[in-house]
Amino acid sequence: MIMDDKRKLRDFLADLLHHKGDLDAFTDSDLLMTSGRLQSIDTLELVVFLEEKYGIDFAERGFNQNDLDSVDSIMALIGAQ
Amino acid sequence: MRIIPQLDTYPKLVAFAETPAGKLAAVATFAVLLRLARMPFSGIRTPVLEMAAIIGILSFFPQHRRLLVSAATLFWLVFHAEASLKLDLVRWVASSQGFPTGATLTVAAAAALLAVFCALGLYLRVVGQRRHNLLGRRPVLLLVGSYVCLLVATRITPHGLPRVAVWMLLAIVCNYLWFFAYAVADYTSKAPDPYRYQIGTFLPFWVGGRVSPTPIGKGAAFLRRVEARTADDLAVTQLKAIKLLMWLVILNVAQTALYSFVYGELPDRVAGFWKTHHIPFPHLTVPTLDKALHQAATGQSVPVYLAWTILLSHFSLAVLRATIGGNTVVACCRMAGFRILRNTFKPLYSANIAEFWNRYYFYFKELLVDFFFFPVYIRYFKKYRRLRLAAATLAAATFGNMLYHFCRDIHYVFQLGLWQAIAGFRVYAVYSLALGVGIVISQLRGKKVEHASLPFYRRVLACVGVVGFFCLLEVFDYEGRTDTLRTHFAFFWNLFPLVR
Repeated sequence: MIMDDKRKLRDFLADLLHHKGDLDAFTDSDLLMTSGRLQSIDTLELVVFLEEKYGIDFAERGFNQNDLDSVDSIMALIGAQ
Repeated sequence: MRIIPQLDTYPKLVAFAETPAGKLAAVATFAVLLRLARMPFSGIRTPVLEMAAIIGILSFFPQHRRLLVSAATLFWLVFHAEASLKLDLVRWVASSQGFPTGATLTVAAAAALLAVFCALGLYLRVVGQRRHNLLGRRPVLLLVGSYVCLLVATRITPHGLPRVAVWMLLAIVCNYLWFFAYAVADYTSKAPDPYRYQIGTFLPFWVGGRVSPTPIGKGAAFLRRVEARTADDLAVTQLKAIKLLMWLVILNVAQTALYSFVYGELPDRVAGFWKTHHIPFPHLTVPTLDKALHQAATGQSVPVYLAWTILLSHFSLAVLRATIGGNTVVACCRMAGFRILRNTFKPLYSANIAEFWNRYYFYFKELLVDFFFFPVYIRYFKKYRRLRLAAATLAAATFGNMLYHFCRDIHYVFQLGLWQAIAGFRVYAVYSLALGVGIVISQLRGKKVEHASLPFYRRVLACVGVVGFFCLLEVFDYEGRTDTLRTHFAFFWNLFPLVR
């Protein structure tokens, strides 16, 4: 289940990066926002993805952009849900 | 073709930069380039030797970086208190209340800052213990609420010492507001930096002579993610800083040449040389935008070719100034060991308005996104995707933008009174609204297209469209409070003689 979630998440992030012409690989710990590979506008897509797929309510749990910076941190967020 | 060599990718150079001799060479190169990147017409004077000395210490003691950054920031505060404490405003207030404006006032302002830092420390402690209560979740609401309370207090406190004290606090808060907001946001996370490290991010020393309430480098949470962890990482980060400064020196030469050519003014240091040697100096003597605005307001028409020349020159110089100024701060921060992103990054590569806004002044945009955009986006209109995006964008680019500038330019409240300071904001309100609407439309229309993947003619068209929009917007980018909308529209219509 966790592996499946991670795969879906990686696919989603890879898709976001591909749309920006970024075809480089990324590891689970790579900081995608901090490094500038993803921008705030991409965070929106990610927020909607997490709200719709996992029912995460950021208004309820509080929002911190750093929680969405890497695959690892997003998986921790999903796990805490 | 690359103009600047990729210094950070040369293994031998990186290895050399890790040695003591290499560190000294890097700091010396940094100091020379920092001096050369100083803009002649801007009035910003970063003290190069002090900055280089601090960077030198940080380079040799990276294990104590965060503590040294805090110490350096406090050092900078003590020796450059004029701007950090907004002493000019404090002196005006004190003088209007019949108080002396000498050293005692400076000491009092420093004591007020200490009191503010202590109060913030206590507040952060509360936030850290109750992360999910209102105090932690709505940092901007609380900080701006405190700001508004102080603003009201300037009106209702009795004349004399109490009023000076309130203005002193207000002057400090308006400079530090957004730095504090990042600290509060960090304390809502699970592992925030201790307060002694947070202090290093409040108007950090790397802003140099350029005191601005925009936190370039954001807050402690961001800095610890981009901090160099190893000697190799530090060497690469510092070489990136040097590379960036080299680029800024080139831009500085371009900016100076363009300024001189357009306005017919040479920098002081070369003007004498030019005159002595009778070297021809071709130039245009175009009026500044400010002069042209007032000329148009008095009913004198500005020819369309001249109006566009004025606007394009003004815009080009504004972009160059923002690039050099903001990225100089980025270079200093990188030299300190934090690999932060550039403040301005290839703005002319933007495929649409929203992208330009992201590339032009990154850390200001981030501030608006962090404290206005996301709080609205995660709370309101969740079922209506487009409305959700539009509301959040307007909250950031229009409301947040106006609030930021109103808070920053608090001296207008003292000079003109509160209501006149608010009413005088009308021109900037038009600017902010047009910017917000432009970004909303751009985002709603926007397909994610990488600029480089577009055919050449589409790239040129995108660039012309984006630059055209921001050029026109520049007519209303007026942060003063005395101009009327008529003044700005009078010039605006000169750009479109067929419509007029």
